Amino acid sequence: MDFTEFDRGSKDECLLTVLVSVDNQDTAQELVAEAFARAWASWRTVSRHPAPTAWVVRTALNANISRWRRHRREVSVPDPGTVADPPAIDRADSSVDPRIMAALMRLPTRQRQVVALRLFLDLDTDRSAEVLGIAPGTVQAHLGRAIAALRKDLIPERQKEIPS
Amino acid sequence: MNDELIMAVREQRNKVHMNTPVEHIISRGRAVRARRRIPGMAGALAVAAVAAFGVTALLPASHQPGHRPGAQLAAWTVAKQADGTVYVTIRELRDPAGLQSKLRADGIPASVIFGVPPNAQPNPCQSYGGGPELLQKVFTLLAPPGRPQGTLDRHGHPPLGPTEWRGCADHQQPVPRRRPHGDDEPRMHRQLNPPTN
Repeated sequence: MDFTEFDRGSKDECLLTVLVSVDNQDTAQELVAEAFARAWASWRTVSRHPAPTAWVVRTALNANISRWRRHRREVSVPDPGTVADPPAIDRADSSVDPRIMAALMRLPTRQRQVVALRLFLDLDTDRSAEVLGIAPGTVQAHLGRAIAALRKDLIPERQKEIPS
Repeated sequence: MNDELIMAVREQRNKVHMNTPVEHIISRGRAVRARRRIPGMAGALAVAAVAAFGVTALLPASHQPGHRPGAQLAAWTVAKQADGTVYVTIRELRDPAGLQSKLRADGIPASVIFGVPPNAQPNPCQSYGGGPELLQKVFTLLAPPGRPQGTLDRHGHPPLGPTEWRGCADHQQPVPRRRPHGDDEPRMHRQLNPPTN
């Protein structure tokens, strides 16, 4: 597989998967771009990986952990006179359904990550477990709870939209 | 109902777009790749420098008359061990090009110079940087009479000849010939092993 083709076909899904973990589109863009750059640098290895998107997401999440370790003692102070960034889901370069994204963001982080890996990247249970470093049974449990929570959160609202 | 929900969630993946051009990613990837190569290149150059300096430093001892091991022996021999360690025994400072090509054929990027470059003043107390273990792997040391075979002085210098024992005193402690391989093994130590294909 050609890297350019992989980049074109996978980067949006990888971005959304990382976005639900970090909840900041700028940060997610930087992390995914860095992960794709590392994938290009190791393309001979990554192209033979059974799930290159899983490799990229794992690399991006690791980079996020490294970033957090570097900056954890910093206290960010908003610059007076500037308007705060809008939430990630309202950004102009994304047209996601805000209700679905809000419901997703209300889930615990691990459940969000499982939903993203299973539903956005279409990874199977074992591969998702490998990416997250947890047992396959735990992935299934998280997915079940996440779907139940999403259904509880979204279905009533969706039904309200149906004209009676 | 679950299928409908899952479909609705899945549809979101087509609605977020990453706007970083692939050219920027590849450019950054080139920088990542270049950064990874630096330690390997530095290691290879350092090994070459250590090997070259070590061979050059042996020069004065070789001209000590009457101390050659025997006329029937070769000027130098290169013995490659099963574990990849290469032992070099130098008896006479002849045919440096042959020794260099032999070492390079065994995967050691050494530059062999038999001769002191103009204005070069080797400092007998200067460390070789790679440590005594590194030199032990490169040279089979010919100890002077009364000294145990294969000893180095405290600064990691090989004994330079039977009568010329350069050093800074306190060279009585023999250095172990080999250390077991391990995770704390210095990188330089590994660099002498030729790559296995």
